[in-house]
Amino acid sequence: MRKYSAIILISILFILLLSGCKKEVENRISIAEQYGLAYAPLQIMKAKGFLEKNLPGIEVNWEQLGNTAAIREAMLAGKLDIGFMAIPPFLIAWDKGMKWKIISGLSISPLGLVTYRDDIKSIRDFSPEDRIALPQPGSIQHILLSMACEREFSNPRKLDDLLVTMAHPDGMNALLSRKEITAHFTSPPYIFKELKDGKMHQILSGKEAMGKEFTFIVGAATEKFYDNNPRVYKAFVSSLREAIDFINDHPEEAAAILATEYNLPEEEVLKYITWPGMKYTPVIKGLDEFAHFLKKNNYISKIYASREEVIWEDVKDEK
Amino acid sequence: MNLLEIKDLSRSFVTGKNKLLVLQRMNMSVKKGELLSVLGPSGCGKSTLLRLIAGFLKPDSGSISLKGKPLSGPDADRIMVFQDFNQLFPWKTVLQNVVFPLKLKKVGSSRKEREEIARRYLARVQLDEFLHFYPHQLSGGMKQRAALARALATSPEIMLMDEPFASLDGQTRSTLQEMLLKIWQESESTIIFVTHDIREALLLSDRIVVMGSSPGRVKKVMENKLTRPRDQLSRDFTEMYKEIYGLL
Amino acid sequence: MLKMKNNYFQRLFWILVIAGIWKAISLSGLFSPLIFPSPETVLKSFYLSLLNGELIRQTIISLSLILRGLIISLIIALILSLLAISSKTFAGMVETLLAIAHPLPGIALMPLVLIWFGAGTKAIIFIIVHSVLWPLVLNLLTGFRAIPEIYRLVGENYGLNSLKIMWYIMTPASLPYFLAGIKIGWARAWRALISAEMLFGAAGGIGGLGWYIFKKRVFFDIPGVFAGLIVIVIIGVLVEDLLFNKVEDITVKRWGMQI
Repeated sequence: MRKYSAIILISILFILLLSGCKKEVENRISIAEQYGLAYAPLQIMKAKGFLEKNLPGIEVNWEQLGNTAAIREAMLAGKLDIGFMAIPPFLIAWDKGMKWKIISGLSISPLGLVTYRDDIKSIRDFSPEDRIALPQPGSIQHILLSMACEREFSNPRKLDDLLVTMAHPDGMNALLSRKEITAHFTSPPYIFKELKDGKMHQILSGKEAMGKEFTFIVGAATEKFYDNNPRVYKAFVSSLREAIDFINDHPEEAAAILATEYNLPEEEVLKYITWPGMKYTPVIKGLDEFAHFLKKNNYISKIYASREEVIWEDVKDEK
Repeated sequence: MNLLEIKDLSRSFVTGKNKLLVLQRMNMSVKKGELLSVLGPSGCGKSTLLRLIAGFLKPDSGSISLKGKPLSGPDADRIMVFQDFNQLFPWKTVLQNVVFPLKLKKVGSSRKEREEIARRYLARVQLDEFLHFYPHQLSGGMKQRAALARALATSPEIMLMDEPFASLDGQTRSTLQEMLLKIWQESESTIIFVTHDIREALLLSDRIVVMGSSPGRVKKVMENKLTRPRDQLSRDFTEMYKEIYGLL
Repeated sequence: MLKMKNNYFQRLFWILVIAGIWKAISLSGLFSPLIFPSPETVLKSFYLSLLNGELIRQTIISLSLILRGLIISLIIALILSLLAISSKTFAGMVETLLAIAHPLPGIALMPLVLIWFGAGTKAIIFIIVHSVLWPLVLNLLTGFRAIPEIYRLVGENYGLNSLKIMWYIMTPASLPYFLAGIKIGWARAWRALISAEMLFGAAGGIGGLGWYIFKKRVFFDIPGVFAGLIVIVIIGVLVEDLLFNKVEDITVKRWGMQI
């Protein structure tokens, strides 16, 4: 008998422990980003204190996480309110039932597949022995490559057997040392560094893969945060706009701020943020194209009936 | 001709800076079929003597010859029975332990034949009920009996017994002594039996080599003329006991 | 026999209790089903992955990697420990190697391994070998040194040369230590393998169980993550409880040589 009461006691304790005590604080926000120039407006927002200016007394918690999966998991666990990532990982989690929507676009960015091999001029030239590094299956790089494969070979999974999963810095190092991998699908600043090598060339750009311009990074907020903290949400959205406008209006000043953040020379940062194809804008482009491609290839099971299901109301979309 | 001849045998050990002379110019001989005891206090070098004969150690000087031929290293013609109960291999059953040397020495033509030989020897030490037991399931006395059977099975020229019963309780020791005597009488094997127990030497052996210590040397070789079976309570036994006790 | 059945019954009982608590929590609605999928969805995902062969294929890949790693480690460990017991010079070398390499977690070597071998099968096998080799060498050395001298003397007495003594005597006599080493090695290799696969992912579209879990994670398929964990637990239990315990039962336990 004693055994059973112990079991019950343990179960109760376990449930109490898991439920914990959650405090709701109006004036607090946790934001997650990743490393890369595509996230530059967030660095500006942080450095210039836009959020604090727009909502005095707010407590801002910035997190830089290593990958999208970690950001999604932290948001699911309620540890983060807002996270930045590419559209495909957002849609994959939305499809699985995660309660969140896009706040705003952040950046449009040159992405590209880079190789050191002179004989490889397009994705048609890969042989089964070649290896292509990209962050992970389901990442925007993977989806873009699949899109290009669908167009070229009518088979989106044509090159899947060549893929090697590597974080951006590892992939860059592997490519530059010309070991193990043949090509690397990556984003700034890694792609810029790779192309600077001189012997490297790009065989496929993100824009070519998609067939049009698309938003690289979007910000998403959980439903809970959106419903419970309307003031903070509004302040965040206007601060984000302010930061995006600041980069576009004062690129030199922005470069000076970012140079310290990224630990890069100022001129280099300026060159990167004004690179052709690098755009900071809240407009969300390419969402439908991604959604339909993901659905068609069974990465997601459904498509939103209206865009309001995946975007909070106040996003300006100049489609 | 003597079966075993030891001439001017000396052996010393070096420990650190000290050189310890353990055996000094030992001379002795063993006749075929005899049961010879080497008796002495602990540290007199009697175990070293046995290890030299077994070939585990090399002499500093002097010679040991078996059937007139000088010894070279250990071999199955001189089998040692140790005091240590661990001398059986724990991963083999009693039967396998006895079969093992038969296989190595290619005694018998088949496994079945070897097992038959092993069973016969194990029966002589009354372990026929325990053939498939592992050593850890046996008592100390049974382990020593199994070791004895293993030594006997390959029919060595000489059996070297290094205080094999010293770790046993008195009752078991007496039983094993009687068993050893019986087997020895039936098989006509030659045994060098090392002991520090005067009674044991008197009970078992034809001759007793009494050794003195530091350095080890032969004090006296005594013929044991007591009639078998020997009676520990007889006057002659006590007389001899006293004589040897005086020597030690 | 009865006791063993009892043990299995107990295991089963507690697994059911845990599943019950799990179900209760998922029913309570305290957590989003995304965080805490119900046991049925996990079992369904497990079943579907089994059915389409994905899980089995990836398990086989993982097991074949670990097996290759274990065999390579075994050979190197035997050579190193035999060298170490036969020569003082080598003993010094092996002990120095042990002192340097044994405390290093395999995962900490990942960045170097990536540079040396790239992110492929070789890298994972290297990590496995590193995880298994050192505890195995350590145990083999201890085992060889713990062999009572008397076994060797008995062997010599029957005229065995060193090679035969190694085979007939040292090998079985050191088995308890060898088994202990393999057990530690297996546990470490299994952990190292899953972590390495999650970090390196798969080369050429083929990956093991760690990769399976990683893939389920990036596609936000939490029941799938749980399904991968179940397989890891099952294999762990099968190898520890059945394989190792069985081998011990018919060897060192039967011989009374357990350490």
